[in-house]
Amino acid sequence: MLDSTRKALTPSRVLVYATLLLACLVYLIPVFVMLITSFKTTGDIRTGNLMSMPESWSLEAWSKAWSSACTGVECNGVNGFFWNSLKMTIPAVLISTGLGAINGYVLSKWRFRGSDLFFSMLLFGCFIPFQVVLLPMASTLGKLGLANTTPGLVLVHVVYGVAFTTLFFRNFYVGVPDALVKAARLDGAGFVTIFVRIMLPLSTPIFMVCFIWQFTQIWNDFLFGVVFASGDSQPITVGLNNLVNTSTGVKEYNVDMAAAMIAALPTLLVYILAGKYFIRGLTSGSVKG
Amino acid sequence: MAQLQLKGIRKTYGNAAQETLKGIDINIESGEFLILVGPSGCGKSTLMNSIAGLESITEGGIYIDGEDVTHAEPKDRDIAMVFQSYALYPTMTVRENIAFGLKIRRMPKNEIETEVQRVAKLLQIEPLLDRKPAKLSGGQQQRVAMGRALARRPKIYLFDEPLSNLDAKLRVEMRTEIKRLHQRLGTTIVYVTHDQIEAMTLADRIAVIKDGELLQLGTPKEVYESPATRYVASFIGSPAMSFIPLQVEGEAGNLRGRLKSADGDEMFVPLPEKLSAWHGREIHLGIRPEHITQPLAHKQDQATIASGIFRIEVTEPTGPDVMALTHINGTEVHCRLDPDHTVAPGQPAELMIDMSRAVFFEAGQEARIDA
Amino acid sequence: MAQLGAVSQATPRRPRVRLTQLLERLLPKLALAPTVVLTLVGIYGFMIWTGALSLTSSTFLPSYEFAGFEQYQRLFANDRWMTACQNLAIFGALFIGFCLAIGCFLAILLDQRIRHEGMIRTIYLYPMALSMIVTGAVWQWILNPSLGLEKLMHDWGWTSFQFDWLTDTDMVIYTIVIAAVWQASGFVMALFLAGLRGIDGAIINAARVDGASLPRIYLRIVLPAMRPVFFSSVMVLAHIAIKSFDLVTAMTSGGPGYASDLPALFMYSFTFTRGQMGMGAASAMLMLGALLAILVPYLYSELRGARNA
Repeated sequence: MLDSTRKALTPSRVLVYATLLLACLVYLIPVFVMLITSFKTTGDIRTGNLMSMPESWSLEAWSKAWSSACTGVECNGVNGFFWNSLKMTIPAVLISTGLGAINGYVLSKWRFRGSDLFFSMLLFGCFIPFQVVLLPMASTLGKLGLANTTPGLVLVHVVYGVAFTTLFFRNFYVGVPDALVKAARLDGAGFVTIFVRIMLPLSTPIFMVCFIWQFTQIWNDFLFGVVFASGDSQPITVGLNNLVNTSTGVKEYNVDMAAAMIAALPTLLVYILAGKYFIRGLTSGSVKG
Repeated sequence: MAQLQLKGIRKTYGNAAQETLKGIDINIESGEFLILVGPSGCGKSTLMNSIAGLESITEGGIYIDGEDVTHAEPKDRDIAMVFQSYALYPTMTVRENIAFGLKIRRMPKNEIETEVQRVAKLLQIEPLLDRKPAKLSGGQQQRVAMGRALARRPKIYLFDEPLSNLDAKLRVEMRTEIKRLHQRLGTTIVYVTHDQIEAMTLADRIAVIKDGELLQLGTPKEVYESPATRYVASFIGSPAMSFIPLQVEGEAGNLRGRLKSADGDEMFVPLPEKLSAWHGREIHLGIRPEHITQPLAHKQDQATIASGIFRIEVTEPTGPDVMALTHINGTEVHCRLDPDHTVAPGQPAELMIDMSRAVFFEAGQEARIDA
Repeated sequence: MAQLGAVSQATPRRPRVRLTQLLERLLPKLALAPTVVLTLVGIYGFMIWTGALSLTSSTFLPSYEFAGFEQYQRLFANDRWMTACQNLAIFGALFIGFCLAIGCFLAILLDQRIRHEGMIRTIYLYPMALSMIVTGAVWQWILNPSLGLEKLMHDWGWTSFQFDWLTDTDMVIYTIVIAAVWQASGFVMALFLAGLRGIDGAIINAARVDGASLPRIYLRIVLPAMRPVFFSSVMVLAHIAIKSFDLVTAMTSGGPGYASDLPALFMYSFTFTRGQMGMGAASAMLMLGALLAILVPYLYSELRGARNA
């Protein structure tokens, strides 16, 4: 924005680069520590320090974290939690994104009396602290027979995720000219045809944003997982927390870190592969529409 | 091709205090090219959307070939529209864009292809058929948008400022092209524009709309030469008509008005007998630049001609003419002079006024008083 | 006018609307209906329900015996709640302050036509993709009083270095600030950078032509233009702070004792583990109130700004 020519390397620019690089290190070190610790043996941890490389690279902690570490009473590792998370996240992401797309389409292109008011009410839903809905939700899930089940968690994530997905799609579709819809209506297309033939083909970028945002949110959620799930439906975040904060036995930081890596990998992977969409989601989701 | 009737159309948005359309009545004949013209926000686009069925109206009726379509869905009205932004479907090729409406209407595949080819040939866009709209220039997009409308062979075509996004040269070309298409296909067209030159050149009839009211409906010649209101007079024509305040003087049978130049020179112009009721009062004389010229030998002897000396303040050569600015009765007045007739800015020149083309308004009022 | 009346009489409001046409008109509303129901029940209904519970004497099971504001009174008489609120004030202020300062600073540096800007930005932002539980676990390890940072410094020769905030009742809340700032400051950077990129370059060029120096341009022109970004960042960060639950759970579980407790954690443990449902509901309502206290003035000024614009 300031200048189109590339600047020469003056001392002040060296300082700028040095500061930026230092900040990079600060942001990277925790994950670096997490990674090397997860490859250490228990002995390594006692003899070495945070930044020391493992004496011998060992996968022992990873395998223990995956299949035999204690998460409370049971000692089966986090693999069960991992699959629970997957079983919960995928349908919740798909349903909430699908609903969001339809809602966004209606709220931008088929506005009716009251639709703007509803959108404001929905937006407010993005802002409430979820603590105010926990108790009634728990009681409702119980009455629906969904307490402590994966479908129950999916429902919860859809209810509280749909505000965000609707916001994404609505803001995206507002940018699509109304004339396109008018032209299609005169061409004889109706509500469904316009959505399927005109809007959806345009929507790949916003679907990416939405998928990634929802995946990250739902995978990383802890509150709903810990409140609405128990035993064999708990997600990975709950499993990790149980493992890290279990008070039985000796603390094994290498296993903790391996489990943390396992919990972090899916979202990190998504971030590395599609970071552009993640950033777009973050900024558009919070700056407002 | 069809006849379109608009009967007493009124539209109020929500709880708005002001009506957007205040009772529009227009009969559009089959094959007629009607232009809706007016300033932005005058309601012409709302009227257009109402005809298309994209907006509902509060009161009144819309009839196509006598059939009431007031509450019909857009798709059931058999109307095609060309949008200002073209509104081409960005994910479809030109071919798919043109074919979309036909596909939805379940036309057989081979017929669609024939139709696409016909339209493409008509508009000379055959080489573009497999491109996406984003890869087309503005002019090409415009042609595709027209092609999409033509392919459906609808009863009525609506054009919503279709040329306003083109550069000046292309706009003139496309204007000619649209006129040629209309003459060739004889379609019924309703065309919205705010460009009065487009209106003059294209229309069979012009409807001038302001603040949701139909001010005048007539042929371009009628609207130009005999504007119904002061607003119509000033809106159509460029440079605009000048309005010169003057007193109605003289006596019955010889009514006249006094014009005074900036230097104090005076002259009299003959006024029509219709103005006798306004004797002694101030009125506004409306006159277009081309009727204040250098003295023309062939007109000199007519009774409605008056001449006088006026100081020319500014001259603007446009090529075919020189537009000259002077002051008469304290008002700026534009004159159109022959470029071979040399006048120098700051110098007095003899000007001839053709009063047979003048129109008259009550001072400060909209309505004509000599019609 | 007579003709006009005749027309509107001859054509009643909707002549023979066909069933398909009716359906077509209803479709948008039908499509929105599931979300309307979910939202009205799941957000507004449940909010009212919680509000009602907070006025009852519910403990392990919901009871609908009206108890007035008793639960709120009990809440404010509760030491642990007061600590949680105090902690939230400290945590919120520091978290928001540091995130804004670091985020804004890094954004300005990154806006100087930096090579590999994309990669650097990616690095700053990746913690946002992590679960707070992961963040908590990592920082719990790094800040571990015996084996973590302290040992590293000792090994590197700084033998007098001491860092035991994680077990220090007075300091533990600051460790949570560190971890939270690490996670969210990159995000604020991204918001500010997007804001900086939105400034019209012509204004900057005009200022340069006028002879203004770079720091002066930033101070007088760029930063004032960032007001909206600043306020929306504060909103988002305040929101994160008030809801903060996972990070503190994973890092300290609110401990030692309840020294690092936060309202969200208090609400969870009183409602679901201690069977104090009424008090839990009351604490949730207060959290909502705190959020509204920030949100409503913000929205009000936003709306007023929009009207004036």
